[in-house]
Order: sequence, then structure tokens, then C-alpha cells
Amino acid sequence: MKWATRPGCHVDRAACAWLARRHIDPDAEFVFVEDPADVPADAIAFDMRGAELSHHGDDCSFETILNRHDLVDPVLWDLARIVHEADLADDRYRAPEAYGLDVICRGLSMVAGDQEILAVTGRLFDGLYEHRRRALLLGREPG
Amino acid sequence: MTELLNWVLLAYRLPREPSTPRITVWRKLRRLGAAQIVDGLVALPADARTKEQLEWLADEVIEAGGEAIIWLGQLGSASDERHLTTRMADVIRAEYDEVIADAAAAVRDPPSVRRRTAARLQRQLARIERRDFFPSPDRDRARRVAEDLSRVTEDSRVTEEVP
Repeated sequence: MKWATRPGCHVDRAACAWLARRHIDPDAEFVFVEDPADVPADAIAFDMRGAELSHHGDDCSFETILNRHDLVDPVLWDLARIVHEADLADDRYRAPEAYGLDVICRGLSMVAGDQEILAVTGRLFDGLYEHRRRALLLGREPG
Repeated sequence: MTELLNWVLLAYRLPREPSTPRITVWRKLRRLGAAQIVDGLVALPADARTKEQLEWLADEVIEAGGEAIIWLGQLGSASDERHLTTRMADVIRAEYDEVIADAAAAVRDPPSVRRRTAARLQRQLARIERRDFFPSPDRDRARRVAEDLSRVTEDSRVTEEVP
């Protein structure tokens, strides 16, 4: 499937792209458009104004996609806390990792194009997922 | 001639009832540090983050049955801009002053209390800095005071642990 979002990917969009490719659609291809009106007819829009898979109420787009796709993996929901705080910093969750993740993504978007951002953050989120998976299994922070 | 700042503005109107969405939007605007220009018109210095945050808020207003539109703009003159940025900085300064006062009040607390206060003030400071668009000596002063309090607690932890 084709997935469409805005260029200049930051943490929520990067996390959504990772989520789409790893947990929803292994063949996901990403296109970037400034205007919601330019989303190709055959693409799923996300993290854009007017798109179903976007911010809703107090939820960031990552949380919305988890909800809409009925993804119940507790590791993904644990990641969602971090993405939420990195994106919104509204103190809904205690996620000390969030501040650093936000800065890393912001810095990356200053030196890399969108496809490169998704490639780099894809591995970053693979690692973060594995870290949170082990943390949940152990019931403490893994070494 | 100094260059004028670019601003992102949200013009919005929400139904009077129910009041929950009004309060939610007001709370979010406050967290973002938006300046109220007139009733239903708020502004933030424009960057990728502020523009995006106001866009989400605009969608939220529309979802709640209201009307919202995003504008990009500049003030008509440098003095109008200064007036606005000073007003925004004054709000933030009051918040830094609170941190400074809390830190001063905590200096004589027992180490365990002081440690908790230091951690809380660091978190509070991070939240304030997120909506502080005009770096000032107040920010540096608040940072220093909060760090000093953390340092005092670290020193006391060392003395506590020495038998």
C-alpha cells in the first residue's frame, strides 16, 4: 500500500511510518505531500490535518493508529507513551526517554531528507521496541 | 532595519456549551505559551512545531463543532512586535520567578525533601522553557538556581552516606 504524510518528518510521523511498515503493511511505501488535497487517491493519509489516522482529542497519531487498527501488543502501547510525550509533552505519561527522542528526531530532520529519516528512525524504533519488550518481560529496565 | 518575526495565528470560535472543549483548548493554548490577541485569536512565533500544534488544535475545535482557521503573518511594525513579545516574556518571567522562589524556600528543607523539590523544579523548568520563545536572563537565573538546589542535594547525599 501507499501511505501519505507531510514532509519534514518528526517523531510522531516517523513512529507512525515505522508502525505501518513493521506491524501493519510490510510493503508500505511512503509519499510526502504538503497539502492534504494532494494525497494520492490510492494512499492512506496519516498524521495530516483531516486524515482519520491523525491526532484525535488528546491522542497523537501513533496512538490513533494503534486504536484504529486494534493493535493490542502491550509493547506498542508502551512505545506509544514515549511517542506521545515526545510529540506533545503534556505530562500525560511519565516517559523520561521522550525528551531525548524528541531532540534526536528534531536534529535528524535538520540534516536528512524524509526517506533517510524514516530509514534511520526505523532502526531506532526497532531498538526502542526491543528495549521496551525486554523491560516488560523482566519487569525492570534491561541492562 | 530589524527583521520582523513570522507568526502563526489561530482564529477560532467554539460553541458556548458544552464547556469541556473550551476548557481543553484553553488549557492546551496555555501549555503552548500562545498569546491571546483578542477573544478567539491567538498567536505563536511560527516554526514547524508551533504551526503543527495550532493546526491540531484547529482540527480539535472543528471536531467540537466550532470554526477555526490558521493564518501566517507579521506585525505591522517593530514596536507592535516588541509590545507583544514583551507581554509574552512577562508571563514567562512570572513563571521563572515562581521556580526561583520555590528553590529559595527549599534550601533549608531536609535533604530528602530538597531532593524531591529539585527534581520537581527541573521538570517544571523544562515545561516553561518549551513555551519560552524569547531567551532572557530570567531563564538563565532560574536554571542556575534549580541546578544549585540539585547540587546542594547531591552534596548532602554524600554527607548522609558517610557514616
